[in-house]
Amino acid sequence: MKTAAAILIAGVMAAHADPPAVNRDAAIVNEFETRIDTYLKLRQEIEAQMGHLKTTPSEEKIAHSERDLRHKLREARAGAREGDIFTPQISMEFRRLIGLAMQPADATHIKQSLRRSEPVQLHLKVNEKYPESMPLQTTPPTLLENLPKLPPEIEYRITGRDLVLLDAKANLIVDVLRGVFS
Amino acid sequence: MTVRQAGVPLAALACLLAAVPSVADDLPLKSGSTRFAVIGDMGTGDKPQYEIAAVMEEYRRKASFDFVLTLGDNIYGGSSPADMKKKFEDPYKPLLDAGVKFYASLGNHDSPNERFYKPFNMGEKRYYSFRKGNAEFFALDSNYMTPEQLAWLDKALHDSDARWKICYFHHPLYSDARFHGPDTDLRARLEPIFQAGGVRVVLSGHEHVYERVQPHNGIYYFVLGNSGELRDHDLKRSPDIAKGFDTDRDFMLMEIAGDELYFQTISRRGETVDSGVIARTQK
Repeated sequence: MKTAAAILIAGVMAAHADPPAVNRDAAIVNEFETRIDTYLKLRQEIEAQMGHLKTTPSEEKIAHSERDLRHKLREARAGAREGDIFTPQISMEFRRLIGLAMQPADATHIKQSLRRSEPVQLHLKVNEKYPESMPLQTTPPTLLENLPKLPPEIEYRITGRDLVLLDAKANLIVDVLRGVFS
Repeated sequence: MTVRQAGVPLAALACLLAAVPSVADDLPLKSGSTRFAVIGDMGTGDKPQYEIAAVMEEYRRKASFDFVLTLGDNIYGGSSPADMKKKFEDPYKPLLDAGVKFYASLGNHDSPNERFYKPFNMGEKRYYSFRKGNAEFFALDSNYMTPEQLAWLDKALHDSDARWKICYFHHPLYSDARFHGPDTDLRARLEPIFQAGGVRVVLSGHEHVYERVQPHNGIYYFVLGNSGELRDHDLKRSPDIAKGFDTDRDFMLMEIAGDELYFQTISRRGETVDSGVIARTQK
């Protein structure tokens, strides 16, 4: 009887303790997704006003559309700062997820992939454009499997030791997480 | 011309020759066949790109190919209107004027917005497929291989009833070039899907050389990243290379006729540096 009571008390105490780690991690990923959604809504509003780019034989139109979208996003996010999306808590979670992806079974493949896909060393800043003349480094597929899913408008890119959120169509740096890769 | 048969033991060479008998200098040009050209890492806008394009036009007149697959790095150094003119529209003007269609895949030097450029026929997609005769072609974006792209490829291959399934993308899964080497993370994800989906031929660029790799699990891997760029003498001696060419630029012609796929790799001087035929496996 005493044992049963002890189990019951322990259960009640556990229910009032901190949420399990898995829920904490999920909550942080949710927070990340919410911040991405906020960016996306802004972007959708801007694109709706501009009109969506369609297939065209005119590279001039494509270049103009990219420039226009980037310009309007930069204006709308004039106060954007590094860490707006990668908050300290989200940054910590991303470092944990990247650490998991780099477990010994996959680490060799990922490191080879990073080394062999023409690494780029750039110090990118939020709300600036990715330099057109610089190649894009491959983001290893194993890494993409381990990171929260992004909408197609935004992608994870690696430059040097940093993880970058890139709006590919606008060619705009959305946020940067520094020093995650060795 | 230098054709380097790098370090292939005689026994392995004999097996290879049995599997890939050489053909005459020109493809068989069979009636009703599907013919196309392949180029990679071409968009420099420099003289060698124009010279390769001129040889391609010569062969188009001979071999009447209808379309061209691009293996990425279509446009180096930005894709402004001036870049597109100098690095794509001008060199390939005779082909474009003749109605030859280009189906692009993206390299690490390409802007993802090239998918909106009509002459690249990407349908606004970074990965896509299209059918020609009894072959289906799957253009992948190896810069950014998301789980969604892998799932799409797996399904598209299984849904396809094409007799030939050909995948093409920028980063090679196998290569013995010194500068980059193979992307083994990509290989670990893609190769099982290729095998399960009945892919027979895989084409990549990125390394600025030509390599025909020994078949792996029944799949023939070609690397062709020297249709504009060149990394002279970059190939290592390796038994994994069935044929290598790293002293000049080239492009490939392919012809699918029933259960046979003929290939012919042609240098800037118009010389055939590799050729052969691959038989379809029953799957």
